[in-house]
Amino acid sequence: MKNEYKVAIIGGGIVGCSIAYHLAKFGENDVVVFEKDYLSSGSTGRCAGGIRQQWSSPHNVLLAMRSVSLFEKLSQETGVDIEYKQGGYLVLSYDDQEAAQFEKNVQMQRELGLDVEILTPKDVKQRYPYIDVSGVKMATFCQKDGHANPHLANFAYARAAQKLGVHIMTHTKVMAVEVLPNGFELFTNRGKIGAKILINAAGPHSREIGNMVGVDLPTESYRHQIMVTEAVKNFFNPMAISFSGNFYMRQTKHGQFIMGQGDPEEKPGINNNVTYRFEREMAEKMCAIFPFLSKLRIVRHWSGHYNMSPDAQPIIGESTSVPSFYYAIGFSGHGFMLAPAVGEALAQMIIYGRTLHVDITELNLDRFEKGVVREKNVV
Amino acid sequence: MVKTDFLIIGGGPAGLSAAIETSKRGLKTLIVDEGVELGGQLVKQTHKFFGHEGFYASVRGFEIAKRLISQLNENVTIMNQTTVTGIYEDIITAYDRENDLIVEIEPKYILISVGASERFIPFENNHLPGIYGAGAVQTLMNQFKVLPGKRVLMVGSGNIGLIVSYQLLQAGAQVKAIVEITEKVGGYQVHAAKVKRLGVPILLRHTIVKAIGDEKVEGAVIAQVDEKFNVIPGTERELAVDVICIAVGLVPSIELAQMAGVKIEYIPELGGFVPFRDREMRTNIKNIFVAGDLAGIEEATTAMIEGKIVGVAVARDLTGIDLQEDLEKMQKELVEFRSGPFSDKVRKGLERFFPQSAHSYSKDAQQDLGPTGKLRPIIECFENIPCNPCQTSCPSGAITVPGNINSLPLIDYSKCTGCGICAMKCPGLAIFMVQENHQPGRDLIVLPYEFLPLPEKGQKVIALDREGREVGQAEIVKVVKSSNKTHLVHLSVPAGLAQVVRSFRIPQKSDSIVCRCEEITVEEIERAIDEGYTDYEELRRYLRIGMGPCGGRTCRVITLSILARKTKKSIQEIGCGTFRPPSMPVKFDSIVKGEIDNEK
Repeated sequence: MKNEYKVAIIGGGIVGCSIAYHLAKFGENDVVVFEKDYLSSGSTGRCAGGIRQQWSSPHNVLLAMRSVSLFEKLSQETGVDIEYKQGGYLVLSYDDQEAAQFEKNVQMQRELGLDVEILTPKDVKQRYPYIDVSGVKMATFCQKDGHANPHLANFAYARAAQKLGVHIMTHTKVMAVEVLPNGFELFTNRGKIGAKILINAAGPHSREIGNMVGVDLPTESYRHQIMVTEAVKNFFNPMAISFSGNFYMRQTKHGQFIMGQGDPEEKPGINNNVTYRFEREMAEKMCAIFPFLSKLRIVRHWSGHYNMSPDAQPIIGESTSVPSFYYAIGFSGHGFMLAPAVGEALAQMIIYGRTLHVDITELNLDRFEKGVVREKNVV
Repeated sequence: MVKTDFLIIGGGPAGLSAAIETSKRGLKTLIVDEGVELGGQLVKQTHKFFGHEGFYASVRGFEIAKRLISQLNENVTIMNQTTVTGIYEDIITAYDRENDLIVEIEPKYILISVGASERFIPFENNHLPGIYGAGAVQTLMNQFKVLPGKRVLMVGSGNIGLIVSYQLLQAGAQVKAIVEITEKVGGYQVHAAKVKRLGVPILLRHTIVKAIGDEKVEGAVIAQVDEKFNVIPGTERELAVDVICIAVGLVPSIELAQMAGVKIEYIPELGGFVPFRDREMRTNIKNIFVAGDLAGIEEATTAMIEGKIVGVAVARDLTGIDLQEDLEKMQKELVEFRSGPFSDKVRKGLERFFPQSAHSYSKDAQQDLGPTGKLRPIIECFENIPCNPCQTSCPSGAITVPGNINSLPLIDYSKCTGCGICAMKCPGLAIFMVQENHQPGRDLIVLPYEFLPLPEKGQKVIALDREGREVGQAEIVKVVKSSNKTHLVHLSVPAGLAQVVRSFRIPQKSDSIVCRCEEITVEEIERAIDEGYTDYEELRRYLRIGMGPCGGRTCRVITLSILARKTKKSIQEIGCGTFRPPSMPVKFDSIVKGEIDNEK
């Protein structure tokens, strides 16, 4: 660890590591990543690893499409097999109003070049005879969606960044930040470090970091629970998800089923505990839709946090009040899947002054001054 | 006293080929051979031979011996385990080891095809047990199924040194290094490539200085040499080996020929002292012929052709039938085979006996790697050697070896169907199949594979490049078993590695498993720590350690102690990580049933 870096990134999840990797890749490797715990200890290491492009707002679709094209190359680029599989996302709708909205979404998604199919419940049954389609109104499917191993993808970016010269400091907690006329002074448990540019990629702790710098970032963290079964032979290719049904599930490369749901009664705040109610609700719901699960055993149940923004879309950009303070936060449960494109875009903003592949200006903090249009495709 | 039309001394490829020609023309033919079984060196050759199909290209040596023997008829008498002890003025004697007696033989014509013996080199302690000639290693290993040792230093990178190294690897030994005193590999590039991609270093300008050990070989000292082949002081280093295998060349066994009165000349290009012979392989003595390595160190295909020439010439002499056409056909075959650069030396040596001719061959190599994304062969054959099974085996006529057999193969990808037969057939194992992005983000590579046990579909392996360096993880997606024992292993590798990966290694599971659910070993944990995963939770996520049904009940503590030892931190400092419910695996069914029960 040096005393002075050009760029300091707070957060060693996939977002922080992707930003670090892309900065180094584009030529800026005087970069340090501070992780208060260990790599992937936050939301990344607790997520399900889904990678989806079927969104309700056009700029999310474009950002996700860019992410997918980067995920496709990630194993090759970094030499770490991230277990990426484009088995598709099967989005099931149990609600007529939602189904109608899906029709519009698909039209928009197709216009943006995404290959999305609309499936009837019968189609779903035909393709996936082991899914009980009772109550399903319609479904959409995009083959190019998929999933990957979030730990390995996180490590892939971290190791690749390190190879390019980036310093990654784990167990290094930023406790305070002093904003200087020409940069920042960071107070960590390992001492003071100076940086010209500061990037907040602290996920569930993004608001605390904002407070240290004196910028109010309107994010709140909500616990989400998730669990995994023992491994069985691979047969379940897609990520199955439903917003109206409130669940998602996929089979990992290793053979385990990983699944979760949202809980509308969850209060904001950091809470790593888990509830038995979650297992009960999941068991009942998931066994009905996926009857093959009933004989499978749950081996682990944990929780992580969605860092929610007011419109359930990420907040990415440079602060207008504190120049050179950047943030990539508020991913609202989708940081893993967007990390490649966001890391690339933010690195480009910092190095070239503008993004080259995806326009992310609509994701800046100032959008909330105009009002809030919420992303609907969220579990 | 045994009377015969034709005595063949040595039943290797040359002797057997001669016997086939004379016996089918009704001549009484006697083969006297030292070995337990006929075939000479062929019986210990487990690799596929080069050449064309007329001379058993793509067939393994020991199979060729069987095929040759099967063509002998009732006119042939075989005396096994019998050594010709003298060619006297009046009679020829042979010692029959099985019956412990000397047999007297009176033939009309003689072929001496006794082959060659191995060169040896002087170095300190070269008397120690554990130092073998390469031929001896092959006899032990391939004929009698005895592995001479576990860790081998190979001295010499000619074809024999390279082939025996490969066979040692197949048999499960490690080849620590191949040392080569000159500045270039002596044997075929394709043979060198086979061992290199398995990680065997070929050290050029290196030699053995001494063997280490009292009772037997326990190591070897090797060193670099200068242009004059003198050891450069200070470059010595030790290798821990229990076998030193010497493969520094062959010397024609001229004893019998010389005592029979055959004119001997010194021709280094042919291996040293060799008997004079003419185009028909006849020596200066009318009824004595020579063929095979005795006539000049070469290889089995030319030995077979020479043997055929002898057989035809002897049959013509003894039967009076005009066999000129047959003879010329074989002589043309020899010219064809010897047209390549590897035969320059032999042709130069043979010039001393009679003028040599050669056909021109094409040096034009394949220029492109074909259409990216199509499953197709990549032929890595860049040396002009006499070989064409790729051409003759291709069912769609996509591969050509234009003109002379020594030309380089060319492929017309528009005709190729991607069947993979060429990869299976290629004696040099120099044809690989590739397909970029066979799945998103993954390339497919099909490798010719001759090791047992075969890997299984789904198995994770370590991909190696042409130098045997690890380049990433790969997964076996298919194994096509072939009757010729060159199996085709389909490997899925991260995209971009299609032109990089040429081999793979099955990760060696050590016995000390830490996580029994996921079968993670001490070695894997230590390697991961070395790679920078120095947190228990990072290790867990990286290796899946403790993620199985037991939840880390046994492995957690062991992993923590390995971590503590490697990182020099206390276990207290590292911490015990997180425990998550359920503490034992719980069925969905049990939860659902319990819920119904609780609601009652």
